[in-house]
Amino acid sequence: MTAGSLILLAALLVAGAAFLAERLSPRFSGVPAPVAPPRGSAAAGMVYAFTLAFGPGAKESASLHLPSYLAGIAYHLGIFAAIARLLTTLVPVTVPPAVDVTAVVLFAVGLGCGLTLLGKRVFDARLRAISVPDDFLANLLVDTTLVTGIVASLDHSLVALFQVTGAALLVYAPLGKLRHMLFLLVSRRWLGATLGRRGVRPSPPPGVSRG
Amino acid sequence: MADRSVTPDAVGRALEVLRERLDRRTAAFLNACVRCGLCAETCHVYLADCEPDSTPAAKVERLARLFRRYHTVLGRLTPGLVGAEAMTEDTLQALAAAAFGRCTLCGRCALNCSVGLDPASILRFARTVLGAAGLVPQGIRANIEAAQATGNTMSISPEDVRETIAWLEEDLRQTIGDPEVCMPVDRQGSRVLYALNPRELKFFPLSISAAGAIFHAARESWTLTATDFDITNYGYFAGDMEAQRAIASRLIGRAEELSVQELVVAECGHGYRTLRWEAPEWLGRPLPFAVKSFVEVMAEYLAAGRLRLDPSRNPDPVTLHDPCNLVRNGGVIEEPRYLLCHAVTTFVEMTPNREDNYCCGGGGGLLAASEHTARRLVSGRVKADQIRATGAKVVVSPCHNCIDQLMELNRHYALGVEVRTLGEVVADALILTGTG
Repeated sequence: MTAGSLILLAALLVAGAAFLAERLSPRFSGVPAPVAPPRGSAAAGMVYAFTLAFGPGAKESASLHLPSYLAGIAYHLGIFAAIARLLTTLVPVTVPPAVDVTAVVLFAVGLGCGLTLLGKRVFDARLRAISVPDDFLANLLVDTTLVTGIVASLDHSLVALFQVTGAALLVYAPLGKLRHMLFLLVSRRWLGATLGRRGVRPSPPPGVSRG
Repeated sequence: MADRSVTPDAVGRALEVLRERLDRRTAAFLNACVRCGLCAETCHVYLADCEPDSTPAAKVERLARLFRRYHTVLGRLTPGLVGAEAMTEDTLQALAAAAFGRCTLCGRCALNCSVGLDPASILRFARTVLGAAGLVPQGIRANIEAAQATGNTMSISPEDVRETIAWLEEDLRQTIGDPEVCMPVDRQGSRVLYALNPRELKFFPLSISAAGAIFHAARESWTLTATDFDITNYGYFAGDMEAQRAIASRLIGRAEELSVQELVVAECGHGYRTLRWEAPEWLGRPLPFAVKSFVEVMAEYLAAGRLRLDPSRNPDPVTLHDPCNLVRNGGVIEEPRYLLCHAVTTFVEMTPNREDNYCCGGGGGLLAASEHTARRLVSGRVKADQIRATGAKVVVSPCHNCIDQLMELNRHYALGVEVRTLGEVVADALILTGTG
């Protein structure tokens, strides 16, 4: 195993342990299982939260901001692809050229969208008012990983560079705003279950009451 | 609010709450916000004043900065990097301005958050922190104290309740022309306990008469109670976990004493939400009776043929304001529409409506917080515009809190509408035996 792979593997373990520790932290009290009789289905609410709720028409945050929504989707596709590509560097497989081409496209589009969102944070006064340095650092860390991912996909001899920047990203992830990668899942599950139990989401068809 | 000083001891108490009383769900929500700001236009306060501090993300960020300072590694080591802030009088005052002054806990942002977190629950926890610092608005505090001392926020004595109900009963008998009409109080073993918002007894007794007429028409076995009848819960608005539990326990205990099968909550959004959804969680046990909104019960009667309605008795165009706590946070979405479609000639929906409806601006206890009156009226502009666009002459809302705000908006924005409860409109359309 190369030094780059060892660093990446260590970063994965550190990030996993840090996320687990954060998630299970005894600092916070537990949330008891709900006892009020449900009006709808918690399961249906959770399924909705992880499927249709991601659609462009499901929320005003998307429908009123379609360019940002689409940029966000493309950015995250690039990030997911980068993480997947990083994982493939840990196993002895030969990556077909088509995968490299696809990766370069996804990384490049993601990078462009990431920089666009960074620019929006700089120039949009409303967004600037709620921004902190971590917002910029997190974006730049991801962007750097996408850049090195592009480089490594074009020249496999530079994969160690990709692995090291990826490792830095992974180690930072549980510390700053990138921790949303875990807590988005937790939040969606909770809110989806609550809205599902109350019969609010998914929306009942007009004229059909529940309970 | 801003001129109320916070002692170092109070800051310490608030910090202790932030450190010790945060649950995993709220912590997850605080960790999940990415400050994308896409929630801005989902908030009626921001839509009305366009101030960056009014976006849900900005309001959440007030607490998130304190959270990061005391609950994250980077917040402790490099607070500037993650925008972490220490808890001080200034940061608490800023939090109070956000959590009480700019938020009605309506939850519209939660439905539209790109991440899927619930800013309203975060800001309610912020209110818990602020409570420890003594920064809950005095009007909300006073209502809590009255409810805990006397059993209701308006300190109405049991004798006054009985007297008012006796008068309403007599009046209803004459109106309907039926000497058999009965508005029972404290009748043991009734199937239904109908619990009131104290404002009905003081200012809106006709909504109680309407309920009486509807229960009479449906031949329901029901009762009112002269003690512990209050469905409102300002402890919930204050984020005061002990008070909210104690206040809800009084009415729940009374319903248990009367051995009813259903506790029917009069038209009150947060009263329904707290008793139907929150109180069992606060008490840690299911309740031995069903909790229903009067809206649900009326819809059940109509569907079962226990009510007959004549829509021609309500000829003016009617629109519906969906109370946030009943609809978006309670799930009672279609029942009011079902009733209105049978009770009025012309029903016009607002846009948007149902769970997507905008808050009236009076939620979250703001009607009791006089220091925030100006912003409450400004933020109500969104609702006023919605109402005006319908062209309706009557605005119906199954929530007395919303009714108060809507009546004020009606005057402030010269809407020229009549504001009514759903029960009153349904009662006007009732076809009673012998009256055609």
